[in-house]
Amino acid sequence: MKYEMFDAKKIIGEVTLQEADANPNIVVVSTDSAPRTGMTGFITKYPNRYYELGIMEQGAVGVSSGLATAGKVPIFCAPAPFVTARPFEMFKIDIGYMQQNVKAIGRNCGFNYSDLGPTHYGLEDMALARLIPGVTVLAPIDASQLRGAMRAMLRHQGPVYLRIGTAPIPKIFEEEEFTIGKGQIVREGKDVAIITTGEIAVNVFEAAETLAAQGINAMVVAMPTVLPLDEAIIKKAAEATGRIVVVEEHYEVGGLGTAVCETCAKLAPVPVKRLGVPHVYLSAGPYIDLVKYCKLDPAGIVETVKEFTTQEK
Amino acid sequence: MRTGDIKELEILAQKSRRNVLRMIRANGSGHLGPAYSCIDIVTALYFHGMDVDPKNPEKADRDIFLLSAGHKGMAQYAVLAEAGFFDKSILDTFGQFKSPIPGHPDMHKLAGIEANTGSLGHGLNLACGIALARKQDGLKSRVFVITGDGELAEGSNWEAAAIAAHYGLDNLVLFVDHNGLQISGQTKDVMSFEPVADHFGGFGWKTKEIVGNDMKEIVSAFDAVPFEKGKPNLVVANTVKGKGFSKAENQVDYHYWKPSTEDMALAEKELAAKIAELEK
Repeated sequence: MKYEMFDAKKIIGEVTLQEADANPNIVVVSTDSAPRTGMTGFITKYPNRYYELGIMEQGAVGVSSGLATAGKVPIFCAPAPFVTARPFEMFKIDIGYMQQNVKAIGRNCGFNYSDLGPTHYGLEDMALARLIPGVTVLAPIDASQLRGAMRAMLRHQGPVYLRIGTAPIPKIFEEEEFTIGKGQIVREGKDVAIITTGEIAVNVFEAAETLAAQGINAMVVAMPTVLPLDEAIIKKAAEATGRIVVVEEHYEVGGLGTAVCETCAKLAPVPVKRLGVPHVYLSAGPYIDLVKYCKLDPAGIVETVKEFTTQEK
Repeated sequence: MRTGDIKELEILAQKSRRNVLRMIRANGSGHLGPAYSCIDIVTALYFHGMDVDPKNPEKADRDIFLLSAGHKGMAQYAVLAEAGFFDKSILDTFGQFKSPIPGHPDMHKLAGIEANTGSLGHGLNLACGIALARKQDGLKSRVFVITGDGELAEGSNWEAAAIAAHYGLDNLVLFVDHNGLQISGQTKDVMSFEPVADHFGGFGWKTKEIVGNDMKEIVSAFDAVPFEKGKPNLVVANTVKGKGFSKAENQVDYHYWKPSTEDMALAEKELAAKIAELEK
């Protein structure tokens, strides 16, 4: 199916500017990174609310926390590994432990920097963020959800990590309203449930149609909030289908797949297949090649789901 | 509550030292050396330098103090108790599960604590954020930070040093508790950042060096802020680790102290004598 495509950075910038017009406490913290996160409009309109710090992520997290102490709503935006992994201990304490009203945007998550390789992959960012108690973790699926998630994040009181790629993002849903903590059944089905998050979801939607044509009726659950996790919808999916595949552009370790396993172990034990990025250092290369290698393309998802659904429980 | 009377401040500092001993007695151990090293500065902060109100500890335009070296937390608790932020009976809960005064400060547990410190190298960046916001809001209030000298080896401090200078944060005052000792020995031997003032000066800070256990010098430093318009302020406070208990002074073994009954009695006796002498 063809979708209208949007520039994710532009959406981030537009929503920030709209919300900043209404809330004078919104400020932007940059590590040589905000202009490339769509913030040029904000910077031009509100230069006194823009803090460029240069390439120093530890400092940026601490400064963001300090700004929050003084009542500001700072948005710190940079590539995903430099928002989460690089300053992790600052994130843990200055944002998490202090429960500060800081909004961290990890852009170019997953394989977005495919030509650069593991230094710039964001494949453990969700794992790191969801280890920190009290941090909301968002991974919107399409352009509408990105708009909604940005608004919800900026109006939410408390720390939030939002991960997003910066490749063109499809508009799949009409609805822009975004409720933090809620999953969504996008397609009903009884043979298997595919739970997915982030922009890779578009491949799941395509795979589900192919599977249906081949006689496998998959329920598809979109999970744009990874923490707090919508455990009720996972339980419902598990009970309705008896087996779950989790698809994410993230290491299979520590992300949504792990979170779903934890939930199933607690509430509805069913077999779970995690389809993500293998826990190794993958070579740089064209994005599409990396996605295919990990079987995260529609054909790979179809193959994995078929194999899984024919296994004995 | 604010005073410029040096003798009065000295008495308050000694009474605060007595509060530290009370906490150590309750818990059986604690970071005596670091707390005693900086407690004269902390006393001057709350009783002279800062605009804070124990009855309204969250007022929007208050001055803010961040104890970046959170393991010196007993010094802050001791002074907060002396200043009336909380009842002194809470000092006896030090070390207990769910105490409002844990070994490292927790802003969610006690009014007057502004950050969760204890992991080193955090306070100065937090302070930069607060100082930036205060300037943006047109407030005259200031942000004070104490770091240890060993703590300067954390690279995050130097990110903050650059930020503060770049943005001209003359509403930020850093005291480096320069007692020259850390767990493994003398700071200059473990990892030298000497001369400390020159390092910060190179970033664009305006610096002063004082005897950090001399109340008159501390008060003079406070009164001189901002040292220069448009520059962040550094006070290299040359202190004595364990200052106030003869056996602990300049002794790295007293960094974390588990006192014998005799040592505790001696420390209390020495303090009582000093307070009596000052109150004559």
